Amino acid sequence: MTALLTIESLQAHYGKIAALKGISLQVNQGEIVALLGSNGAGKSTTLKAISGIVRPTSGEIALAGKSLVGCAPHQIVEAGVIHVPEGRRIFAGLTVRENLELGGFTKRREKAAVKEGIEQAFALFPRLQERSQQLGGTLSGGEQQMLAICRALMARPKLLMLDEPSMGLAPIIVQEIMNIIKEINRQGTTILLIEQNAKAALKLAHRGYVMETGRIVMENTADVLRTDDSIVKAYLGA
Amino acid sequence: MEILVQTLADGLVIGAFYSLIALGYTMVFGIIKLLNFAHGDLYMLGAFVGYSLLSMIGGGDSGMGLFGILVVLLLTMVIVGIAGMGIERIAYRPLLLAPRLSILITAIGVSLFLENGAMIAWGAQYQVYPLQLSHAGINLFGATITYTQIGLVLISALLMLGLHLFINRTLYGKAMRAIAHDQTACQLMGINVHKVIGLTFFIGASLAAGAGTMAGAYYGTVNFMMGFIIGLKAFTAAVLGGIGSIPGAMLGGLLLGLMETAGTFVFGGSWKDVVAFSLLILILVLKPTGIMGEKVTERM
Repeated sequence: MTALLTIESLQAHYGKIAALKGISLQVNQGEIVALLGSNGAGKSTTLKAISGIVRPTSGEIALAGKSLVGCAPHQIVEAGVIHVPEGRRIFAGLTVRENLELGGFTKRREKAAVKEGIEQAFALFPRLQERSQQLGGTLSGGEQQMLAICRALMARPKLLMLDEPSMGLAPIIVQEIMNIIKEINRQGTTILLIEQNAKAALKLAHRGYVMETGRIVMENTADVLRTDDSIVKAYLGA
Repeated sequence: MEILVQTLADGLVIGAFYSLIALGYTMVFGIIKLLNFAHGDLYMLGAFVGYSLLSMIGGGDSGMGLFGILVVLLLTMVIVGIAGMGIERIAYRPLLLAPRLSILITAIGVSLFLENGAMIAWGAQYQVYPLQLSHAGINLFGATITYTQIGLVLISALLMLGLHLFINRTLYGKAMRAIAHDQTACQLMGINVHKVIGLTFFIGASLAAGAGTMAGAYYGTVNFMMGFIIGLKAFTAAVLGGIGSIPGAMLGGLLLGLMETAGTFVFGGSWKDVVAFSLLILILVLKPTGIMGEKVTERM
């Protein structure tokens, strides 16, 4: 097991408020790792710190041994980490195809790769192909999430970070999205996943971390977490 | 009929200038929500840079022909475009995360800096442009449309067409539109947001500079304060079309030019600015989003 992403005693603040109080975690090559916890635990902040949107106060973030701290967000994408933010945030006024093209921004000099990426996205979600000339804002929530994932894959990431991909979606769509995440992982992309839907996340993930008020309070394999009493009580609704 | 055609022709020329300047206003607003009040001064800077370049090659009598003039125009656009990028880098970028009011005040400071800088560099008096354009033209229903007017409108139309293609067909153009929607999402997609913002300033400044050089040659004189009123007019045009909207800025500029020329005919020349700014007030009261504008949330 080689570590792809390692985080060491990472701290981040919003003004004077500490959002991350020194967390350490590791994502290995080829894994799906779930980050669980209630609202305000610091899950999204962790992803934002990795993708460079939030500047950490101290600590280390490294991708395959190379430090990402202090890099601009676009350099982090170029290094191979991509972050699908909460609420999907697709470009509502641009067409589906344009959204995908912008996802391939860091690959803009490799025209063939961009074209292939768009074809793969359409193969993964045929509905996106039907709607390729439609504005992103006209898609349904599930389609927007599919577009957000495909847009991220256009950058050919080593590590794909997903923040609440199931938020606000119907159960049947959630299942479809989860299957796709599994498929993306099977094809070789490492995944770091935040989910409110802990049950679905732990079914998918190999390992999980549980966060509470800016700290990691538990880490284990998904199988153990799924049956852990405190997890079951807190997040799985026993 | 004669009056209608003449008004249309004169209005289209001035409207084309307004459109070119309004485009920079609207693009910068769209991308970083800044009303760049120094933008009119880039038009002035364009007029003066063109003035200096033309003087250097010997003015209108050098026999350089149309090709020479176009080269000067392009060169001016590049020089002022770089100046526009420099302004963004030095004055605005450090304030991008500050409250909107700080950056707005900075824009006014940049405007004063450019005006006074130009006064020191080129003098406070009116300068006669080293290029006088031909007054020959064609007669249409009794009105005279000069070849110069036709040429200026054509060049402006070509510049706007180029911009339209850039915005809609190229990846950087698409990135510009995307940043106007959601800057953070763009960063997460690996787009170098600062580079795209710089490019926006380059394009906006060079379009204004192109208008400045053309206006200098069209009206015959230039002055360091020439960008002030026309900057406000271009702002009016941008608001009329719907600020943030690129087709809106093109349309707003042309409409403003036409209405202003018509207003001049009805009320007399001294009422020209009154017509334009009354229009601004009317739009702000009746339809603040303009003709093609979307509803924007204020971030100030």
